[in-house]
Amino acid sequence: MREIGPKNPLQILLILLVLAYAAALIIAPIYAISDGAIERGWQPIKDTLQDDGVQHALRITFEFSIIATLLNTVFGVIIAWVLARQRFYGRTLVNALVDIPFVFSPVIAGYTMIVLFGRNGWLEPTTFAIVFAYPGIILAKTFVALPFVSREVGPVLESLPIEPEEAAYTLGASRWSTFWQIVMPGIWVGVIYGVVLTLARSLGEFGAVAVVSGGIEGKTETATMYVYRALHDRNRIGAYSISLVLGAVSVLILLVMSLLKWRLDRQRG
Amino acid sequence: MTIQLDHLVKKYGRQTVVNDVSLEIEQGELFVLLGASGSGKSTILRIIAGLTSLDSGSVQLNGRDVTRLSPQQRDTGFVFQNYSLFRHLNAAANIEFGLKVRKAHRKDRQARVTELLNMIGLDGLGGRMPAQLSGGQQQRVALARALAPNPSVLLLDEPFGALDVKIRGQLRHSLREIQQQLQITTILVTHDQEEAFELADRIGIIDRGVLLEVGTPAQLYRRPKHLYTANFLGTANVLNARRNGKTVYVGQVSLPAPSETEHLQNQDVHLVCRPEEIDLALEQELISGSLIGRGRISNITFAGSLERATVQLMDISAAKPLHVLLSPEKVRSLGAIPGQEVFVGIQDFHLLPFQEN
Repeated sequence: MREIGPKNPLQILLILLVLAYAAALIIAPIYAISDGAIERGWQPIKDTLQDDGVQHALRITFEFSIIATLLNTVFGVIIAWVLARQRFYGRTLVNALVDIPFVFSPVIAGYTMIVLFGRNGWLEPTTFAIVFAYPGIILAKTFVALPFVSREVGPVLESLPIEPEEAAYTLGASRWSTFWQIVMPGIWVGVIYGVVLTLARSLGEFGAVAVVSGGIEGKTETATMYVYRALHDRNRIGAYSISLVLGAVSVLILLVMSLLKWRLDRQRG
Repeated sequence: MTIQLDHLVKKYGRQTVVNDVSLEIEQGELFVLLGASGSGKSTILRIIAGLTSLDSGSVQLNGRDVTRLSPQQRDTGFVFQNYSLFRHLNAAANIEFGLKVRKAHRKDRQARVTELLNMIGLDGLGGRMPAQLSGGQQQRVALARALAPNPSVLLLDEPFGALDVKIRGQLRHSLREIQQQLQITTILVTHDQEEAFELADRIGIIDRGVLLEVGTPAQLYRRPKHLYTANFLGTANVLNARRNGKTVYVGQVSLPAPSETEHLQNQDVHLVCRPEEIDLALEQELISGSLIGRGRISNITFAGSLERATVQLMDISAAKPLHVLLSPEKVRSLGAIPGQEVFVGIQDFHLLPFQEN
C-alpha cells in the first residue's frame, strides 16, 4: 500500500477536480434518473414494469446482452491469446482491426449489417432473418462490444512470462489444459474487467441495434430503444422506469465484479 | 546413447543460430553446453525439448526419433533460468503437476511429492506458495517438478544464473548429488566456466552456433583444440611460435615440442600456456620447466589465495605481457615488486595451429 502523506495545494486541487468531474458526469445523471423516476412514488414504476411490452424489451435486452457477452468473452480471450502468443504474417493488421468497433459509429455498423445480411445483401441468409430480427440484435450487441475482453486480457497476457506454459508442455500438459490450468489463473482479473465492460456496453447499446433491429414495438424493441420511444412520446415515467432498471443493473454488475476481483486479489496474497 | 543430435540447424531469418551441431551423450552423463550469451546454446536445449522448431537435422532420445514430436511427447524435464513456477499453485502442487497430467493415482502422487520434497531438502515446505520461497528454494522446486514424472532426460537452461554466488554453489552441489543418485542423463547450459568445470562429465564449447569441441574439463583446459576454447576457459597466455622437427621456436628460444602435437609439423603455431604453468625465479638455475628468457614484472594484484602478476618478456619482441599466478611463498622468495627483473620458465604448454585474428 502506498503511504498517504501530506499533500501540497496542487495535489488537493487535482483531487477536487477529479471529484467534481465525477460528480458532474456520473453522479448527477444517476441522481436525476432516480429522482425523476420516483417523483410520483413507486406505483407508476411498478405499473410500467408490469407492462408486457416493457417486460419483453427488458428480457430481450438482458438475454441478448448475455449471449453477446459470452460470445465476446470466448472470442476475446482467443483473440488476445493468438495476438499475444502467436507470431504470424498480418498480426499487426489484425491487432489494429480488433479496435474497429470502437472507432466505427454504431449507427454505421448497424447499417453495414443491413447491407451485408439484409434483403439482397451479400450474405443474406436463406433460412432465417438476421436483419429486423433477434440474430441482428445479438450481432449488433456483439460487434459494438467486441474489443473489450481482448483489450483487457491482451496486456495481462503479454505481461505473463511464457516459460510456465512451456514448462507445462514439457510436463506433458496439452495446450488446452495448459491454457485452463496455467494461463487462465493469471488472466482472470483481466477477463472479469473485460466481461463487465462488455456486458455494460451490450446492455446500453442503442445506435447499431436500433438500425439493424428496426425497433418493432413488442418484438425487436430493446430497453434502450423503449426509453428513446418513451421520451419521444412524452412518456416520462416509462423512460425513467426502464432507465432506473438499466442503471441499477449496471451498478450491480460493477459491484459484483469488484467484489470478485477483491476476493481473487486476496486469494493471491 | 541417450541423446543423439544429428546436424541440427536453426535459422532466424538470415542469421544461423545453430549451425550443424551433432552430439552424442551417454546414459547418466552430465553434459554441459558452455558458451557466451547469444552463442545458441539455449536454442539447442530448447530444440531437444521441442520448444523450438529446427530447420534441419534430427533429435533422438533413447533411440527414439523425436524430431517431429511435440514437447508433450518427448519425456524431458526442463528447468528454466527464472524458475518459472506456476505462481498460483503451492510448491507441492507445482511438483505434482506433471503427475496429475499423467493421471497418476492420488496416493502415488502424494508419495512422490513427499519423496521429491525430501530429495531437494524442502521437507514440510510443500504448502508454501512460490512467492513465499527464496530464489534458491524456487529453483529447487522447479527441479523437483521437472524430475517428478521420471523423465528420461533432464535439461537445465542457465539454472543458477539468477541466484547469488553462495546459493549457486549450494545448488550446484545438490544438483550434482541428485543427478548422480538418479543417474539421469542431463544437459546443463551455462556461460559460467567455473560452473561447467565443477559439474560436467564432459563439456561442449559453443561459439556462434557452432559446437567447436567436446571433452572432459581437464582435456579442454589443458589440451584445447581451438584458441577460442583456450581463451574462454580461464586465462591463456598465447605466444607466436614455430614448430620444426621436435622443437618449438619462440623468438630466440627453443623448447622441446609436446609429443601429442606431431600433426603440427613445420608450421607457425600458437604456444598456449596457463598462468599457473609459468615459473619466475631470480636465478636461472632455480627455474622449473624450460627457460624462455628474462622478463620484467609490470604489475601484481592480490587475488586471495594466489597473487596475479603480469610479466613483460624482454627477449621476445612483440610478445604480450604474460599472466602469471604466484603462490605466497613464491612472492616472498622473489620479493616481487613491479619493475623487478626475473627469469621466466614454462612448465606445461600446448601448441595450436596458427590462425589470424
